[in-house]
Amino acid sequence: MASTADTAPLLAALPAPPRARVSPVAWLVGPALLLFVVFFVLPFGAMALLSFLSGNPASNPNVYFTTRHYERLVGDSLYVEALVATLRIGFVTTIVSLLVGYPLAHWMARMHSRLGHAALLMAVIAPMLTGIVVRTFAWMTLLQDRGVINTTLMAWGWTDQPVKLMYNEFGTIVALVHIYVPFMVLTLTGVIGRIDERLEQAARSLGAGRLRAFYEVTLPLSLPGIMAGSLLVFALSISAYVTPFLMGGTDVLTLPMLIYQQVSSSFNLGFAGALGVVLLAVSLIVVIAYNHVLGRFAGAEKMA
Amino acid sequence: MNTTSASIRLDAVSKSYDGRVMAVDDVTLDIQPGEFFSLLGPSGCGKTTTLRMIAGFESVDRGRVVVGGTDITDVPVHKRDMGMVFQSYALFPHRTVAENVAFGLRMRALPKAEITERVKAALALVELTGYEDRRPGQLSGGQQQRVALARATVIRPPVLLCDEPLGALDRKLRQQMQFELKQLQKQLGVTLVFVTHDQEEALAMSDRIAVMNAGRIEQIGTPAEIYERPKTRFVADFIGEINLFDGVGSSASAIRPEKVVIGAPGNGGLPGRIETANFLGGHTLYRVTADDGRQILVKETNIGDRPTRAIGEPVALSWDPADMVQLEG
Repeated sequence: MASTADTAPLLAALPAPPRARVSPVAWLVGPALLLFVVFFVLPFGAMALLSFLSGNPASNPNVYFTTRHYERLVGDSLYVEALVATLRIGFVTTIVSLLVGYPLAHWMARMHSRLGHAALLMAVIAPMLTGIVVRTFAWMTLLQDRGVINTTLMAWGWTDQPVKLMYNEFGTIVALVHIYVPFMVLTLTGVIGRIDERLEQAARSLGAGRLRAFYEVTLPLSLPGIMAGSLLVFALSISAYVTPFLMGGTDVLTLPMLIYQQVSSSFNLGFAGALGVVLLAVSLIVVIAYNHVLGRFAGAEKMA
Repeated sequence: MNTTSASIRLDAVSKSYDGRVMAVDDVTLDIQPGEFFSLLGPSGCGKTTTLRMIAGFESVDRGRVVVGGTDITDVPVHKRDMGMVFQSYALFPHRTVAENVAFGLRMRALPKAEITERVKAALALVELTGYEDRRPGQLSGGQQQRVALARATVIRPPVLLCDEPLGALDRKLRQQMQFELKQLQKQLGVTLVFVTHDQEEALAMSDRIAVMNAGRIEQIGTPAEIYERPKTRFVADFIGEINLFDGVGSSASAIRPEKVVIGAPGNGGLPGRIETANFLGGHTLYRVTADDGRQILVKETNIGDRPTRAIGEPVALSWDPADMVQLEG
């Protein structure tokens, strides 16, 4: 077009137009996005890809796509049972953590003495300052066949045979609850602490007893905390490796233990990947279902 | 609505949180059925603690709380059957307006139809018909205040307790709510105990006022008595403006600025000069420095087109000796 030719020298005289500007928001989001991609998307993508390959493409150029890892997983009851056990341990740990953690969190959130609050907070956080292995060993000294509890019981003549307290799911869950309950307490304390105490007082002045006032007011208002704390504990306990390994003995087989075996002794990265993908998928489904159920409960309570 | 209102009697009630400082010290009160009774005082004077002891939120260290002739000192909060309005309204944020108002009725396990009807009537009474399905967060401060009132009164309590219920409202809305609350109280015939630190509010609304200071009651009386005849230095100073003249020992005398008359010098009276003049619309507040050095506030009503007096103008102050109050302590 003629007009283009006419304006060309004019444009050339102007300073070079800036190239497409990068939105300032991108600069802020960028680092987080990079971190997310490098530490989450890439490893998970690699794992998911490997789970559909016949071998490791880095060492074997003749790999092909296959679903055999998944077929093996579904076909063998050992793996399905491990998945069920993993979820069961996750559920029970979450429920027990909630039952133990809620009263503690409520007590902490409603404590007026700053000193008392600080002392409780320290008591809750202190276990987190020692490593998971140390805490698990502490439980082993307590729960072993010749541990503190069993020797005491036998010395008092309450039992002849040691009670089986560990190398089973019970011991695993006890240790897991101990390790993960601080996450529940800290999450709940924040949420309960923000609920105005006068709401419960108002309920009581209107004729609700302490328990009823709690059930009608504080409990529904703390649902977001229950939800967040439960998800945190559930996610942590289904992915736990050290504690089920040390406390569960040969009785307990969870998916993270299987994955570790596949990676470290069988060198079957494809199958380990398949186990990982299934664990993630199942826990996502559980989380969504849990959200849905709590949401329904909250809806019944007419929560905003 | 018919409410049977109840009398409230506090019998030498004391309360201390830490065992040393008395939050409420030997307070005795007799509140009549259907009375609008205010507890007035600065923050930390024990007025809220006193109210919370009547409500049952605070235990009583010594003394008895008697409502309607029944000793309720050891009765738990939820069995006291009192309406309470909180300073922050304390509406349940997860429930609608109708559900908030229905709460007390639900706790009393009333039939659904009756609950619906009474909620409707209570909301109509506070002019919030049509707001049933809103949430508290969607309402203005004044509307939330009314929901709180409806929620507290729908249970037809013999006693309504209000803890600075208008404190969070702006001035204009507060004045309007003062009228509405007073009207509602007369309509329901309920005994109302009203805690406030705002002396104007207490004077405007109350049948009687108890002025509290440091956990003790300084004076109980009608608004006019409290204003015109303060008994103690604290009451005189806390309520409105007053000129205090120290007497012998701890005694003092006082006179309200509006009782002092400004006259021309030379005709007797206390000579002095105008120090400052604050034109306040309906009246002008002068500070006069008397020749003997005392500073005296004088309030002169602006009638006709009386010009504001010039600063430095020599004047003579006089008053009716009957208006001078003798104070103790």
